Amino acid sequence: MARYADPRLREWLAAEYVLGTLRGRARARFQSLLKYDAALRGVVAEWESCLTPMAAATAEIEPPARLWRRIAARIGAQPPRSRWWTSLALWRTLAATGLTAVLALGVYVGNLPRPEPPIAMVAVMSDDKARPAMVVSWPQLKDARDPHIRVHIVQDHPTMAPDTSWQLWVLPGGKAAPIPLAVVGIEPIQHIRLERSLRKNVWQAWGIALSVEPKGGSPTGAPTGPVIFKGQCVRVM
Amino acid sequence: MTDDPLRSGSRAPDAAAARLAALLGQCALGNQAAFAELYRATAPKLFGVAVRILRREDWAEDVLQECYVSVWSHAADYAVAKIAPLTWMVSIVRNRCLDWLRRPHLESGGEEYDIVAESWAAEAPGPMEQLLAAADAGALARCFAHLDSKQRQSIALAFFHGLSHSELAAHLKEPLGTVKTWVRRGLERLRNCLSAETA
Repeated sequence: MARYADPRLREWLAAEYVLGTLRGRARARFQSLLKYDAALRGVVAEWESCLTPMAAATAEIEPPARLWRRIAARIGAQPPRSRWWTSLALWRTLAATGLTAVLALGVYVGNLPRPEPPIAMVAVMSDDKARPAMVVSWPQLKDARDPHIRVHIVQDHPTMAPDTSWQLWVLPGGKAAPIPLAVVGIEPIQHIRLERSLRKNVWQAWGIALSVEPKGGSPTGAPTGPVIFKGQCVRVM
Repeated sequence: MTDDPLRSGSRAPDAAAARLAALLGQCALGNQAAFAELYRATAPKLFGVAVRILRREDWAEDVLQECYVSVWSHAADYAVAKIAPLTWMVSIVRNRCLDWLRRPHLESGGEEYDIVAESWAAEAPGPMEQLLAAADAGALARCFAHLDSKQRQSIALAFFHGLSHSELAAHLKEPLGTVKTWVRRGLERLRNCLSAETA
């Protein structure tokens, strides 16, 4: 393995790998190295950025229609990926792309398992580094008999300081004061019953924020501690 | 790299790349409609890439099917790839094609070589000429033009047609060692030129 430490060799192997001239066992060996060597993957990625754009000069060839049918069958045959949104990797990945989390929302709706009512509004809340930290969503509230809001913590390692609570707030928009919504825990998925009196506020919310409060929630009815997550509401239905 | 010609195929390259990136993001979330659009937008290019390397449309279909299934299930990985979306997809296709060609019964035969020689000769204009002629291909085309003709030809044959060193040597009627040197020097020069261009 020691020979793979030589930076010139690594550079050259990566280049030939991307070009396609690294063949046979050398290629297989290089691929197995790649699995464990992130830095080497980086070198490969640089060469891909360098060489692969040449493919733009390749003439396009329309594939036969059956190809799409075969692919669609393969995709459709997959069992529905239930609870896919519990994948933290997915949310982290979205954050890493710089794709706005809002982009995700259009499809957030369509993938819910049957028992849950469809989401009507959602707020993807980010931390101070603009990474998605929490997703709060709720269904149509008008006709719901027993409406709940759904809290999904997508942060890496949520931690709550001892003797504190996390409190959610409805931000009505403009200069209106935040309205206390609920105290939440740090479990990844939580369903919180929505007080009847809050329905209208929630339905018209501009955004949702989460502040750190003394145990049990803000004593004053207004946020007293730092706001650690916040995000704008998006109506998706 | 703003000069990435994969992104400059349309008049609004960044918009096209952003659209593909957005579609990949939606695929990561299981949106099949987005996947269908992604397929329509990329399949002709990717099929072209695969057919050239594999030289058989039925193989190219098989490989492309696996590639799209893989793109669908690993769309979330695109985010960490840090390259243009089409570049990412082309890399997947090229790697699968090269893996396909590695299958033992394909590597031994000299039969392939003849097909290659023919298809290369019959090509008018070849991808290399297209690359050099493309006004908007940017830094890559400029750097490619700076290579010696032998280096350029070896790299183009390897890249577009998936030729191995020994196939290159046979095709160009040069010793293996010479061809290897052309490829290596060519890659080095290309890389140095590109980093100078984008610095």
